[in-house]
Amino acid sequence: MAKWGMVIDLDKCTGCQACTTACAMENNRLPGENWQDVLFYHEGTYPNVNLMWFPRPCFHCENPSCVSVCPTKATYKEPEGGFVLIDWNKCIGCKYCQVACPYGVRFFTDEKAVVQPDIRGVFPGTDRQWDPPYKGPQDDPSRGIGIQPHGVVSKCTFCHHKVSKAPKGVADLDEDIPELKEYVPACVRVCAPKARFFGDLDNPESHVNKLIADQRGVRLKDETGNKPQVYYLSGGAAAAVPSLRSMTDKT
Amino acid sequence: MSTATMHARLPILPVALAGLVISVAIVLYNLINQGHAAYGTDNLGMFWTFPIVVYDYFLLTSTGLAMVATLALVFGGDDFRPIIKRALWLALAGLAGGVAVLMLELGKPIQALWLIPFSFAFDSPLYWKVLCVLGYVLALLWLFSRLSRTGWSMASVRGMALLTLVLALGVTVIAGVVYGSQSMRPFWASGDIPVAFLFESLLGGLAFIIFFTYMAYGFKQDGLPASVNRLFSDKLPSLLALAIFLHMLFVLARMTSGLYGNAEGLQVWQHIVASPLFHLELWVGLVTPLVLLLLPTTRRIGSVQILAALLVMISLFIARYEYIIGGQLVPLFKGAWAPALLSYSPSPTEWMLLHPPCP
Ligand code: SF4
Ligand code: SF4
Repeated sequence: MAKWGMVIDLDKCTGCQACTTACAMENNRLPGENWQDVLFYHEGTYPNVNLMWFPRPCFHCENPSCVSVCPTKATYKEPEGGFVLIDWNKCIGCKYCQVACPYGVRFFTDEKAVVQPDIRGVFPGTDRQWDPPYKGPQDDPSRGIGIQPHGVVSKCTFCHHKVSKAPKGVADLDEDIPELKEYVPACVRVCAPKARFFGDLDNPESHVNKLIADQRGVRLKDETGNKPQVYYLSGGAAAAVPSLRSMTDKT
Repeated sequence: MSTATMHARLPILPVALAGLVISVAIVLYNLINQGHAAYGTDNLGMFWTFPIVVYDYFLLTSTGLAMVATLALVFGGDDFRPIIKRALWLALAGLAGGVAVLMLELGKPIQALWLIPFSFAFDSPLYWKVLCVLGYVLALLWLFSRLSRTGWSMASVRGMALLTLVLALGVTVIAGVVYGSQSMRPFWASGDIPVAFLFESLLGGLAFIIFFTYMAYGFKQDGLPASVNRLFSDKLPSLLALAIFLHMLFVLARMTSGLYGNAEGLQVWQHIVASPLFHLELWVGLVTPLVLLLLPTTRRIGSVQILAALLVMISLFIARYEYIIGGQLVPLFKGAWAPALLSYSPSPTEWMLLHPPCP
């Protein structure tokens, strides 16, 4: 059984947001409700300003706090592949998972739109959040794939609708391998500087495992015990997301 | 003077019911037209806001009232008999109001009624909380109906009272675990939160029973029956003072470690301590009633007791608000979308939610 994971090389990421855009197109995201986002941070004051960016999907944690807190088992970890998914038929919108996710990757459907004007008013949905003129064909509410209904929480699925169809036993899903590129998550496939890698963390031969071992991949906030399946490579560059406290202290 | 006579003079119930209908209608209208945008919640980090504050406040008040009644039944003796039934009734009313507010907050409230109990999500504190609340409601109803029949004795209901007490303690402790277990939010996470919730809840129960007993007798001390008067001039003010003191210890201990702690999230304490609301909570809502209840010259005066209870009720509401909102003020991984502490104030629709539990 594969355990899919992602490696993001922060030295290579240019902060171009192609991944965010590709995810939005692939998954019919509402503007600003980015399942995959590149977060920008700045620290200090002019002329000593440090600008940083940080790509952040859902980390499909090995020991996800969002799963353990869910009172209806709507959020669950799929044994095959290790995806953390949401069954929208079971989600009651209590938002405990939003509270419990240390990485802020979840969205409640019925909030005020982050980006105004609210495009839901232009393409209103009936039983779903909105009805955009172009929609991806994938729709699986039991896995939180597609456009979400009202009253539920949503998040990145690691492009389950693509990855789960990959041939069994492949170690890596690399967009440069023509026969595999259709199975590669949208954010990985479009990354121009090739800062993202996707593969099987349980396969010792996978490229992602080699990257993690050779370049000392790190997981974020390991102290929470969530054990993300997304690793960051930082080389000599700054990998850390500055805490709000450090930012406040310096400005 | 009977309760019915007092209600005839003070038309509290009809006014409250009319207010309830109007406020629920406004909330529903806004929810249907604006979705959750009618509340002050967002996807940047303010996930649980005023509705959860109101719900938790009344849930804990309810368990506190149940604790007062059942502790009295199990350990207290006949002195407490005059307030037991009223405490249970208030516990039921507060719980009903609090749960009604929760239903107005959930994304799918109706489905929650069967999806939670039949999920068997043993890992989730919320699952256990709901199970415990279900048991607690049944125990409360059972005990209340038993006490509504004439001729009950303390001994005959002790077993039932003990069961209700255990369930009330269970609900309160699990309500604390819901927050205290969240390691990614240092403002919330602490092993002592469930214990702090117990004291807070008991304090709320005492304040509510004092206030509403006076209310039932037109806020007049000389209207109190002799048995009630005896209790109110002796044990109850002392218990209230003790509960204020214990709760204050928790508030001050958490504040001190929060101010000295360096973990991301604890900076919220500086924000809270700098706000007038916190000082209202501490000095006006806790210190003032404590002093009034400790001074021999004031502690037995009815109007002082009413004031003390009211101040405590307000202080506890502020405490609940600051705890729930404070734990979410530091945005987690939002980058430039939220570059500072989040700001939040309840929307008009959210204020309306204060009404349902109040009648
Ligand atoms: S990143 Fe958050 S939402 Fe994703 S699996 Fe981990 S805890 Fe759950
Ligand atoms: S909002 Fe939905 S997925 Fe999240 S904890 Fe509640 S029921 Fe589970």
